Amino acid sequence: MFPSNLLSVWKRKGEILPRYAKPSSSNDEAANTLIDVYKARIGEKKKVLKTVVTELEDKGHEYRFVRALSLLLDRKSTFVCHSKIDPIDLRRKIFQVTENLGIPTTSEKRQKILTTVASEITLTKEDVEESFYSDLESELVLEKFTEPSASELLEEYNLGLTQTLLFDATELNFTTSGNWQEIFRAIKKFGLIYEVCNDHGLWVKIDGPGSLFKLTRRYGVGMAKLLPIIIANPDWKINAKVLWKFTNEIYDFKIESQKYASLLKRPRLPSVIYDSSVELDFASQFQALTTGWILKREPEPVTAGKNVIIPDFSLEKAGIKIYLEIVGFWTEEYLLRKIEKLKQVEVKMLLLVNESLACEKLSALEKRPHIDIIYYHKKIPLGPILRYLEAKFEEVKFKEIALLESLPIKFTEPIVSFREFADRIGVSTEAARAFLASNLPSGYIAIADTLISNKKLLQIDAKIRENISRSGKLPLKEAAKIIAEEGVDDSANVLAALSYKIRWRGIDSDQAIVEPSR
Amino acid sequence: MLRLWFDKGTLLLKGEVGTPYGKWDPRVGCYRIKAYNYRDVLEYFAESLLKVEDDALSLPPIEQIKSNVALRDYQNEALDNWYRARNRGILVLPTAAGKTFIALKAIEKLKVQTLIVVPTLDLIDQWRKRVKDCLNLETGVVCGGENTLRMVTVTTYDSAYIHAGQFGNKFMLLVFDEVHHLASTGYIQIAEMFTAPYRMGLTATYERSDQRHSLLSQLVGDPVYSVDIKELSGEHLSPYTYEKILVELTPQEQQIYESQMRIFRSFLQQRKITLRSPADFQKFIMTTGRDPKAREALLARNRAVKVAVNSETKLNLLAEKLEEYKNQKILIFTLFNDLVYTISLRFLIPAITYQTPREERREILSNFGKGKYPVVVTSQVLDEGLDVPDASVGLVLGGTGSNREYVQRLGRLLRKKEGKTAQLIEIISKETMEVATSRRRHQKTGEAT
Repeated sequence: MFPSNLLSVWKRKGEILPRYAKPSSSNDEAANTLIDVYKARIGEKKKVLKTVVTELEDKGHEYRFVRALSLLLDRKSTFVCHSKIDPIDLRRKIFQVTENLGIPTTSEKRQKILTTVASEITLTKEDVEESFYSDLESELVLEKFTEPSASELLEEYNLGLTQTLLFDATELNFTTSGNWQEIFRAIKKFGLIYEVCNDHGLWVKIDGPGSLFKLTRRYGVGMAKLLPIIIANPDWKINAKVLWKFTNEIYDFKIESQKYASLLKRPRLPSVIYDSSVELDFASQFQALTTGWILKREPEPVTAGKNVIIPDFSLEKAGIKIYLEIVGFWTEEYLLRKIEKLKQVEVKMLLLVNESLACEKLSALEKRPHIDIIYYHKKIPLGPILRYLEAKFEEVKFKEIALLESLPIKFTEPIVSFREFADRIGVSTEAARAFLASNLPSGYIAIADTLISNKKLLQIDAKIRENISRSGKLPLKEAAKIIAEEGVDDSANVLAALSYKIRWRGIDSDQAIVEPSR
Repeated sequence: MLRLWFDKGTLLLKGEVGTPYGKWDPRVGCYRIKAYNYRDVLEYFAESLLKVEDDALSLPPIEQIKSNVALRDYQNEALDNWYRARNRGILVLPTAAGKTFIALKAIEKLKVQTLIVVPTLDLIDQWRKRVKDCLNLETGVVCGGENTLRMVTVTTYDSAYIHAGQFGNKFMLLVFDEVHHLASTGYIQIAEMFTAPYRMGLTATYERSDQRHSLLSQLVGDPVYSVDIKELSGEHLSPYTYEKILVELTPQEQQIYESQMRIFRSFLQQRKITLRSPADFQKFIMTTGRDPKAREALLARNRAVKVAVNSETKLNLLAEKLEEYKNQKILIFTLFNDLVYTISLRFLIPAITYQTPREERREILSNFGKGKYPVVVTSQVLDEGLDVPDASVGLVLGGTGSNREYVQRLGRLLRKKEGKTAQLIEIISKETMEVATSRRRHQKTGEAT
């Protein structure tokens, strides 16, 4: 973030955009030059450094650009006071001597005072002059400089420029792909107010309490601070209203990740955080099982009227999405507020409720069609949850089978995996499997979740037979290769279906040989 | 049942009734009301015989005051006027007329939770000390790292702006020191975001060149008492004289000055730009961002000003003046920080700028007060409100030509002391724009020179 006088923008047809420093030989050069200036001035005074920087202004680069880069580099620098004596003590001493000898209005008198003080503290007169104001900002010495790369510096510049523009924003709209918990926490922390709506994804509109009365830039600082948290995600769109104070006009400011993400410094996304050990235990135990359900921590927010809830987890399988919220030790006030919100939720939600909570309050939710509740004691029980999920899935599977049975289904390809078939119709593999088990199409055989036409099977059989008769014996490896060439993965089951025998020698499959049975 | 509570610098009202002050906020499903309308809303409900559950305020406990504040007649009159305006309004009094004591008396009489808002860190210390000495109260401070709330709390405009959303419902009385600051675009929202029904503004210079002071009437109150510097001078404040000394630039300086100003003027002529007001100048500054020629012109002008302000002949004259007023307390004011340090180094006298560490600043001011340090040089930090004890000579080197600055620098010297005549001496470079600046200043105050 920069002082507003360093903000440099394009404005056209009601749109405003920071003048981003795109990677180009000229911008890289400017960045590298400045970095070199800092590197070369380690051990020198800040005023020397700044004089060199000022000289670079207006030499092929706009002064605001140069100054902003310099500001960023200052933040990577350590400036210290180099002095043989504490300058404040020194000044006190000098003023004391001046008090006795009078204000030196002539050069001789001044020299006399300095000499007196110098001898008193056993330093030279030059040391005294040098140390007198050695603690002033401009007199500090560059001690350490953490060197960024040119591209890092430019990315930081672009982020800073965007934030500086947002200082003057009256409203910020965004959509993004994750990090929601942190985003909503920050919105609250910065005293902002949000509204959400669904328009090709969840859009969040940010302003502040006072925005109701008039357009105000008051909340711009909060929006600027929010920006890095939003763009930490890989996908985002930002759409803000900026009140340009010089002309008192409102401009649109729009950027999205596809075009701009590479220009802006992207803060690191925080790793998945669990609010409690209860959640962590649940997640690790659940993930240890192979249920086919995909568990996601902190999924996208769920709208509840004008508000949102960010559930603890989402579970997905076969197009079913169930949100999971763990209701642990909550204060009563929080619980009541949460219940109010949950009443407005329109997606499937499973609440895992600690029994020791005031459960009667939750009974208001039990009748809601979208909400199911499982109570727990101390630890979250996997059994009831798995049974619940299975039941949910069975419901869907049952409907899918009914759908498949109502469709006129015809197969023409020699090989079709169940999964391909399920995807084609848009049902779960489980439903496809169950359907095909009782409705095997004529002319096909089902081998390991794959339909293979009898014709294809005979082709494979002929090839294997030919190979065996040619060389007397066929290694399993060769047979598998032939079957794979025909487009089937599971050679063992195909060989079994064609009544071949595999003779093993030891456990090494390279030594195994395929023989006709009988 | 209606319920009213505080939400981030505004009030929320839940219930079936709207008010003339509220606005429906669909985001939260309540009426939202500006915090400063708190008193109006309550009065409206009282008149309409509506019952409201008022949860708006959250006040720190009342502490016991032991006051030793005694007011002078004009101070009493000022306070009475403020009471009559239903505990709202602005008091316009020259520096050193004891504005602080009027506010302290109001706190003592009302016995309410009070937030004092001041422009600088130094003023925080000063108010804190006054509250301790006069009311025997420890003050809370909200500023920088400190964050304590007490019955009487002091904060800066910047901190108040940042924290209004959190603390806006914790006080009954707001005292705005140097209230003209409040009228600026950002700070004005402080007044809107506090529920405090009682408000007092203090200033020596109510009017602002941008006319924004008119906004204060609604949020703090009208000016309820105003006394001129001349009415008080002699009686309560010391009399003063004013002298202007013109010095020539050295030939070398003159040459630089003229060549640089020529660049500036010819640019203005070429572009047919006239600079009559500060707003014109602001517009011109704006264009320098994208127009390299304009920027070059601005830089040339800055160089010229710098030469004129830092002129060697001025420093020589300053040396003479320091000799002449050897036995008096002198304050030297300059426009630029650089010049402060040049003077400090050359004459080995203490300097105060925004960079001076707080402890050292305190020490310097205290030693200046005791007469240990007879001379202090400063840039603009002492302009407002800070107590600098009885300096008798003021030397001004270069100014910004603003009315307020002039009055307050003058005011700084006018500390009541028996038989004292304060002297203000302005040293100006001849034939430079500084003369025009100085003239403009005097036209505004109507002071004869």
